[in-house]
Amino acid sequence: MSPPNSAERPAVGRGETVAADAPVRLSEAGGAGLGSRSSVATASPAVHTVALHKRFGNTIAVKSLSMTVERGEVFGFLGPNGAGKTTVVKLLLGLSRPSGGEALVLGAPLGDLETRRQIGYLPELFRFQPLLTAREVIRLHCRLLGRPKTAWTQDANEALHTVGLLERADDRVGTFSKGMQQRLGLGVALLGTPALVVLDEPTSALDPVGRHDVREIIRNLRERGSTVFLNTHLLEEAQHVCDRVAVIDKGTAIATGSLGELLGHHSRVRLKVEGLGPNWWSGLGRFGRWHREDEWTIVEDIDPKRVADLVGELVRLGGRVEAVVPEQQSLEARFLELLSER
Amino acid sequence: MSQILTIANLTITEAVRRRLLAAFLAITVVIVGLSAWGFDRLSHAQSLTSGESNIAVPQALILFLFMFSFVLALSASAIASPSISSEIESGVLLTVVARPIRRTEILLGKWLGLAVLLAGYAAGVCALEFAVVYWVSGFVPPSPFLVGVYLFAEGALLLTLSLALSTRIPAIAAGVVGVAAFGAGWLAGVVGTLGTGLNIAALRTVGDVGRFLLPTDGLWHAAIYYLQPSSLIVQHFAEGQRSDPFFAQGAPSWAYLLWVLCWLFILLLAAVTSLERREL
Repeated sequence: MSPPNSAERPAVGRGETVAADAPVRLSEAGGAGLGSRSSVATASPAVHTVALHKRFGNTIAVKSLSMTVERGEVFGFLGPNGAGKTTVVKLLLGLSRPSGGEALVLGAPLGDLETRRQIGYLPELFRFQPLLTAREVIRLHCRLLGRPKTAWTQDANEALHTVGLLERADDRVGTFSKGMQQRLGLGVALLGTPALVVLDEPTSALDPVGRHDVREIIRNLRERGSTVFLNTHLLEEAQHVCDRVAVIDKGTAIATGSLGELLGHHSRVRLKVEGLGPNWWSGLGRFGRWHREDEWTIVEDIDPKRVADLVGELVRLGGRVEAVVPEQQSLEARFLELLSER
Repeated sequence: MSQILTIANLTITEAVRRRLLAAFLAITVVIVGLSAWGFDRLSHAQSLTSGESNIAVPQALILFLFMFSFVLALSASAIASPSISSEIESGVLLTVVARPIRRTEILLGKWLGLAVLLAGYAAGVCALEFAVVYWVSGFVPPSPFLVGVYLFAEGALLLTLSLALSTRIPAIAAGVVGVAAFGAGWLAGVVGTLGTGLNIAALRTVGDVGRFLLPTDGLWHAAIYYLQPSSLIVQHFAEGQRSDPFFAQGAPSWAYLLWVLCWLFILLLAAVTSLERREL
């Protein structure tokens, strides 16, 4: 996996990926029609939407959303509260019907029953049968998934062990805290080695230890080749684990790309240079915008590939470069910037 | 089919753990115990001749089972009305519908599980009550099995109605509408009986329409018919009592029973369609 903060990726502007996807007809995805399911299923992306649209009365919840989530990647779906993230998740899982547009999930149309066997889902509103024990909840889902009965015990033990609930396996869910119920939900979502795991705000009720555990689980899912669709408004969470993200606001994707693409062209460098005259930077505007902060000189919007050229130029001018601190805009800052630009 | 059975099994397990069966059992023991005492007093009353006693016991049994049919209807509505709406509101249903299961299978599974509970309750109370009445008075209804079947069918209709409402409206509203519909159906039946007795066509029509729209009263009268011994029927016609809401003139026709089945099917179809189309 490339490091999330890699600055070596080409810059991606607002919605560029969206536009690139737009002309593709879903029936043409993977080079085959929906009729030849098997070839599409293996060749197609994990999620592919074209102009997906959802309207509730006069309210437009999702507006012409086009995006692609490749197989095996951890895809962060980011947006402020009420942006339409959960609505998109529900559309992808067939829990809600789109008002327009098309989408394929694991190569199959929305709501396809067999495809659901390969999807794990942790809803934002995670509640389970309070009168069942954690083990019984897992076994219920094994049964619904059509897992062989002989595997139920092992499946339950593995899932509960993964989410740290094995010791409470035989306690009723009604006695669990919110955090424990969310852990259980994660265990349920991991059953049956799903090809796609959809996590809707998976750490909303967890303490820092739980959040760390969830990140580990997500990394393990990626290692075994599962796709993770991570719906979150916790940007730090996305920055830790996501390969690519889409930022959604008012039902529309306003930016899509890898974290490097999203943040890379907005990196800046902090310099401490001695031995040059006053206003020495005035001739170096081609590298970026300059300003001073105490003894530091800040270069904004510099292409990370040109930092070495800049240092070379400063040395050539006779400067003594004492410190070069590359900084990258945080996802939060970039996120706020994207929203404020709308 | 296996998914339907999975949901039915889950429904029954949850009902048992909610102590629903324990509550049913406790209520049954209390009401059957009290009725045993009452029937014993009635059948051994010095003030009654044996002929009068032979009429009084079946009449009292009809009244007792009318009370039980109300309890059954209330129970059916109470257990069915939260089964979908509450799970949607709480989010419990979300994790289930995301699995490879049709919403139709979820609804039919819940219906099956609740119907099994209701059938068990109806069969248990009827068997116990008939045994007690036989023990203290020696009276056995002409067809105790069919009485149980019609009482269960009455409850099953309300269960289906409440379940269908539960796919769209909150639990308490679905429950209230279900019970109110049962009451209105019974009242329409009483009005129809009065219309027949007093020969007022408009009132008779109310009864006929009521039994068509919600066949619970029609099924209750079918149960009454199979509770009535011939001595009671003879006495009823001899005395010319034509407006007794606790008397059935005849067995339900096949056409009416067919309509009841159609009604059940239409309502189940409506419930399934409603849940399938509901945005979650």
